[in-house]
Amino acid sequence: MTFRLLRPTSLAEASTLLASDGGAAAAIAGGTDLLSEIRNGTAAPDTLVALDSIADGALHGISDTADGGRRIGALTTIADIAADAAIRTRYAALAQAAAGLATPQVRNLGTLGGNLNQRPRCWYYRHPLTVCLKRGGDRCYAVPGVGKYLCITGGDRCFIVHPSDTAVALAALGASVDIATAGGIRTVPIADYFTGPDVDLMRENILQPGELLTAVTLPPPSDGQRSIYLKARERESGDFALVSVAAALTLAGATVQQASIVLGGVAPIPYRAAATEAYLHNRRVSQISAEQAGAQAIPNPRPLPDNAYKAPMAANLVNRAVGTLLAAAPP
Amino acid sequence: MTSTPSPSFSIVGRSVPRRELADKLTGVADYSADIALPGLLHGVIVRSPHPHADVLSVDVGPALALPGVRAALTPADAPAARLAPDLPVLDTRVRFAGDEVAAVAADDLDTARRAAALVRVEYAPLPFVTDPVAALEPDAPAIHPGGNLAIPQPLSLQRGDIAAGFADADIVLEETYALPTHSATPLEPRAALAAWEGQRLTVWKSTRGVHVDRAALAHVLGIDPALVRVIGPYMGGGYGNKDESRLAVLAALLARRAGRPVRIEYSREEEFVAGRTRHGGRIRLRLGVRSNGDITAIHGDAIMDSGAYQASAPGVARRTGQGMLYLYKCPNVRFDARPATTNKPVSGSYRALGAPQGHFALETLIDRAAAAVGMGPLEFRQRNHVPPEGQDGPRLTPPDEIVDGQPVEGGIPFSSNGLAECLRRGAAEFGWHESYRRDDPQNPFLKRGRGMSMMLYRGGVGSDSAARLSINDDGKVQLVSGLIDVGEGAVTVLAQMAAEALSVGYDDILPRFADTDSTPDAPITAGSTATFSTGTAVLQAAAALRERILDAATNHLAAPRDALSIADGAVFVAGDAQRRVSFARLAQDAGSASLTAEATVTPGSPDYIVNSFGAHFCAVEVDTATGRVRIARYVAAHDSGRIINPRTALNQVEGAISQMLGFALSEELVTDTPTGVTLNGSYLEHKSPTIQDYPDIRVIFADVIDPVGPMGAKALGEVPSVGVAPAIANALYDAIGIRFVGLPITPDQILNALAQQSGSSVTT
Repeated sequence: MTFRLLRPTSLAEASTLLASDGGAAAAIAGGTDLLSEIRNGTAAPDTLVALDSIADGALHGISDTADGGRRIGALTTIADIAADAAIRTRYAALAQAAAGLATPQVRNLGTLGGNLNQRPRCWYYRHPLTVCLKRGGDRCYAVPGVGKYLCITGGDRCFIVHPSDTAVALAALGASVDIATAGGIRTVPIADYFTGPDVDLMRENILQPGELLTAVTLPPPSDGQRSIYLKARERESGDFALVSVAAALTLAGATVQQASIVLGGVAPIPYRAAATEAYLHNRRVSQISAEQAGAQAIPNPRPLPDNAYKAPMAANLVNRAVGTLLAAAPP
Repeated sequence: MTSTPSPSFSIVGRSVPRRELADKLTGVADYSADIALPGLLHGVIVRSPHPHADVLSVDVGPALALPGVRAALTPADAPAARLAPDLPVLDTRVRFAGDEVAAVAADDLDTARRAAALVRVEYAPLPFVTDPVAALEPDAPAIHPGGNLAIPQPLSLQRGDIAAGFADADIVLEETYALPTHSATPLEPRAALAAWEGQRLTVWKSTRGVHVDRAALAHVLGIDPALVRVIGPYMGGGYGNKDESRLAVLAALLARRAGRPVRIEYSREEEFVAGRTRHGGRIRLRLGVRSNGDITAIHGDAIMDSGAYQASAPGVARRTGQGMLYLYKCPNVRFDARPATTNKPVSGSYRALGAPQGHFALETLIDRAAAAVGMGPLEFRQRNHVPPEGQDGPRLTPPDEIVDGQPVEGGIPFSSNGLAECLRRGAAEFGWHESYRRDDPQNPFLKRGRGMSMMLYRGGVGSDSAARLSINDDGKVQLVSGLIDVGEGAVTVLAQMAAEALSVGYDDILPRFADTDSTPDAPITAGSTATFSTGTAVLQAAAALRERILDAATNHLAAPRDALSIADGAVFVAGDAQRRVSFARLAQDAGSASLTAEATVTPGSPDYIVNSFGAHFCAVEVDTATGRVRIARYVAAHDSGRIINPRTALNQVEGAISQMLGFALSEELVTDTPTGVTLNGSYLEHKSPTIQDYPDIRVIFADVIDPVGPMGAKALGEVPSVGVAPAIANALYDAIGIRFVGLPITPDQILNALAQQSGSSVTT
């Protein structure tokens, strides 16, 4: 494997470099995902555009916004997010997602931007010998093969799940992302950032060549909002979610005023459990059954032959998340 | 951990630090891949992408044209001699996705990798089979001439008459078990460095036996073994698993072609795919019991997945059945096994070979038998475990012949058998009889359960073993053995035994191991034999050396032999402490060469079966929301005879439990059925437990001093791995009422089973 390593000093320069190479250049921050893709042969960029050489403050650090939200530069490490006192108190789901992600080494090196833009973990997508649809091949190998870790809803020719923990938490917390384009910065809700195989088999988000995700902004939490992130996995560390859930509830007195429930590990993008949200919205706490909230998390799952377990797992996690948040509510 | 120190020993029985600890902790320890020579080249192996194919042509021209590439090797270049009857050096038929096809060597690793990618191989794919049961069907594609049975004849062993035994039973239980392919995941990937000086070849290799590698290299290369030197540097994880010589042969052939030393080091992915795995397979087990609790018949039938080559299939097949044949007092037993060749990564030797697989079936079905007759798991095992006097029946082994460590016949007692003590003390330490709640009022998803298992394994009787001891001029003692310490601490333990036997300090022992040029022939470090077998040789050599020391001291002190005694590296005249002479002085006077003794022993006993035993107890917590299992507590009670070093022994037991926790709950090397490729050959996807998954483990050693073993010791390396999976599976049953018959028991399996359970409870 050989590649050129370029170290631009401005966002504009980086953007130009990324756009000018016809897609053969890749942006690199922590490199925890990209380098493994290069090793496996699933990515073969001829140019790496390093982002850590860009001094632009937009990419770095965590700060309060004018309206009381929190802005996180894309180059902020996962470890710094997990340790941020304001995030831990005001956006618990994100802090928990960051703290339970991968391993300490990955959290120290990996960045928020990289975590959101990492590629799928599907075994077939990652295997040098199974060149699947997502790599320009002629078929999906997972459907006759092992689909245990793949999606139970939203699959369309390709059945990946989005592997990011932070994406699920950010979606539940209503975050938005800043994207540097040739014409400046545009801001989109994170719910609109991720795209499934029905939109484009080859990509998982809306970034165009030359565009860079520069920051994520969390809105100020409403009074009485509390959130939680739960992750089911096969071992305690160094494991992606089988299923995860981020839940944020805002209580007004004894009534749920706002409910935001997003699942990871079940769909090609962070999956909003709209039916559960509707069930919880404006409902009195005493009238809420956490089990019912869980039962309607994914109304019509379409599992592969070996991943039907994800439906009860998702229901149970939503049940637990809602139950935990309501149990913590003041009487 | 508890164990009873012996009052009569001062070094044996103490947790002296491991000999290599400082080297490893400070990073100065050289592993095989750390050794560099001037002009070193890096070798990379070209592997088949097909699970089964004929190699029509191999063109290394484009690879050799790359600057920096120094040599290439194809099947046409490889010697015809085979590493095993079914294993060529390189072949024009490939038998698994990852099989060796060609190799290249270049100035640096990147160049070698690029060169390997440039080798043009034309394949004609063949039908392939990845399931061992299907592989034995008549219409299965034949992977080797003569079919897919990986041993010459099916293995069939019996004692008594199982038909009569089952007829005699009140209850017959039968179950079929599915075992996964499991990687040993050694931290150190396989590596070999080969260098020629004229006709002489030197190889540094991660290995479990330098003399076995020397023989293989000499045979395949067609040279005199005296011209081959194999050195085993420090090992980064052995587990009996580094059991092949193909890697070293390829390095040697590349080095000869290039005229420069060549190192081949597996990548992590290669270690998973082209290393050796634990055999998966299918075990069918039948068990007959009377309502009073007597076991009347046991019949096991195993089909084990050998992967693409036979490797250690005979040993694995045999070990799979030993628990069924011998752990329980039973007059009628039978074990059948057919290891099958498949188009999958090669299964090999891995810690206790088939015993963990066989015990998983046996020890979970025993729990069902106990329940069927209304007994508890502990009570049933206390009633039925094989007693110290062994099984009933006639001895078939001739009277003077050493008894096999895996007998089938009855009529032979054990040298020692601490099963009763392991059960009693393990249960007490665990609190087996204390009441507990399966449910948690605070958390409706949480279920708790307890389970146990019992195990037996070979006690250390291995092949002929040798040791040499000699006194240096400074009084230090050289301990020389061809054995390799594969990471378990053999060098430490053998040095303790030598120090004790010669009455010198532990630090006075200078070990020299694993170098075919300077050490006596040694067997492989496998089968838990190092302490017992080489230890016996060390003690014999020490006894002979003491005689020579006393002979020399008699002259020096002008005192009769029977007036002399040895202590603290010196010889004294009894009752006159002034008349003493140090070993150093004796060596200076007599010459080191004369104060030397070597012993070669055939270990074992003609009178006794030597076996090691254990009983495990565990408490689990199941999160029924996510299917996650947490091992809350684990107690392991073991009879391995006298414990030479409590700390290394504890490490062995803890390591075995941690390793087999993955076998039970999370690890499987998955071959894709449609394509035949290994899907998860990485630390990320072959899910070894992390430190956060490890349970609180308490270890008990029974107070057993074995009358046959050296200083009373028996084997320990493998036996703790044998009973882990069934103890956990039995605890899961206790917690959630589901009998798992396949491993690993992953969250999806648990949620699927819970869904089925609630579905069936609705309909009934």
